[in-house]
Amino acid sequence: MDRIKCRIISKGKAEGEALLCSQPIGFNFSVDVETGVVTEHKHELENVSIKDKILVFPNGKGSTGGSYVVYQLARLKTGPKAIINKICEPIIAVGAIIGDLPVVDSLETDPYAVIENGDHVTVDAINGFVEVTKRGAQ
Amino acid sequence: MKLTDHEKSMLDGEHGAPVQKAMEILVALGKIYDAERLIPIQSAHVAGLSLKSHGVAGMEWVEEMAASAAKVCIPTTLNVIGLDRSRDLGLPEDWCDKQMRIGKAYECMGCYGNSSCVPYYHGFTPRFGEHIAWAESSAVVYTNSVLGARDNREGGPSALAAALTGRTPLYGYHLDAERLANVHVRVSARLRNLADYGALGAFVGKRFSNAVPAFSGLSAMRTEDHVYLGAALASSGGVALYHVLGMTPDALFNDDKVLAKDCIELEVTEKELTMGREQLCSGTSRQIDYVAVGCPHCSLNQLAELARLLDGKKVNSGVTMWIHTNVAIKGLAAQLGIIDAIERSGAVVTQDLCTILSCPEALGFKNVVTNSAKMAFYAPGSNGFNIWFDDVARCVDAAVTGTYTE
Repeated sequence: MDRIKCRIISKGKAEGEALLCSQPIGFNFSVDVETGVVTEHKHELENVSIKDKILVFPNGKGSTGGSYVVYQLARLKTGPKAIINKICEPIIAVGAIIGDLPVVDSLETDPYAVIENGDHVTVDAINGFVEVTKRGAQ
Repeated sequence: MKLTDHEKSMLDGEHGAPVQKAMEILVALGKIYDAERLIPIQSAHVAGLSLKSHGVAGMEWVEEMAASAAKVCIPTTLNVIGLDRSRDLGLPEDWCDKQMRIGKAYECMGCYGNSSCVPYYHGFTPRFGEHIAWAESSAVVYTNSVLGARDNREGGPSALAAALTGRTPLYGYHLDAERLANVHVRVSARLRNLADYGALGAFVGKRFSNAVPAFSGLSAMRTEDHVYLGAALASSGGVALYHVLGMTPDALFNDDKVLAKDCIELEVTEKELTMGREQLCSGTSRQIDYVAVGCPHCSLNQLAELARLLDGKKVNSGVTMWIHTNVAIKGLAAQLGIIDAIERSGAVVTQDLCTILSCPEALGFKNVVTNSAKMAFYAPGSNGFNIWFDDVARCVDAAVTGTYTE
């Protein structure tokens, strides 16, 4: 099992199944808060649910109302269990902080090199590390 | 992070629970982004007020802040909301009630309820070098790039936290070293109108979402061209700052000072501009039921142009045309006779709201034309609309004939 150091953006601890996305995600108007399904036209994750996933994407983008959408997803439990960014931007950081959603970034190993879709990932945003168990390795 | 005694007392709760919560958010941000201290700011602009963004959870969060007697301590403006407070547009009652509650909670805290995404058009104009904490992605990029103010991409809650304390952490685009361009965009395509500037922004924003682009090849840009370029960069991407060499204040005199050493080169010819336009098109049926312009909100110049384009024409009986602006600009346009001139055609000049932050989809619209790259990007997700993206003259043609033709 790989243990990877990271920077803590928003404190907490969660584990679950990894969902990777190579494109930035803007939450406002782009994720349905009732279902956690991505609605952005032509987005890599269009029609895919991010609910209960450990969501890996490079960075946030778009509307600054996104903080409230991240907050809503956390409160309604329709969003990801945790977020791993390459570089987390403040829109997502603030929504996660007020919604108590664990978020980390700046992993010492490129997350796209060590995490694949379906891997079991633990995000420890209290001690500052991520653990990856490869799918089928348990 | 170093805090002054006054800031420490805010964090310790001596100035009440809302200020303490605000300080906790700012200190958390400061620690994440290695800010050495907080800095005073001159103004704040709070966004994300739509019920679509807040939801009931966010509405309750902000009502709780207001109920605990939170008060802003610097001039603070409010972004667009989801209803027009001056007239009944037929939007659902429950939606309007909740939307009013959100607006009222912020006004209760001392924010100006101007409901505008373009406060820099009407009395709130940060100057070069001034530190501010503005949310609304299109306003962040405009104040940073065109006015040369110092602003980060504030989320709604962090802009509110800054307004309640008068401070923001010193990091990101508040620091000169972080404002260097890392993509040099050479534009050879001819840009004829606001839609073209939007297509350029959408193309560059999608490819370099968190970059600082510097454009060359652009000349004689109007204020509105900047607004529509920036709004597209900040919606299709997450751009908070761009430069135009020889034009915008950070890049006025010396190109070398604004281009980072390892700057990536990007060429935008007619081909890339077309790709930008196609990115934004989701139209299916050419039979149109809704035409919307004014995202970001129309300036007085844009309203005057629409009055000319609509002169002597009637909006088709099967089409609703909404033109978005705010009460400050609408008030002046009304005095000048521009609103009457527009509305004689049957088009409606809305105030306070815009398409993506409101719910015109509740009125049954589906097939839409707009000249806004920002609206074209968000409306499929926010409103479920199929969008044709084109110049304002084509928008007016579609509104009059009921059919979109390129």
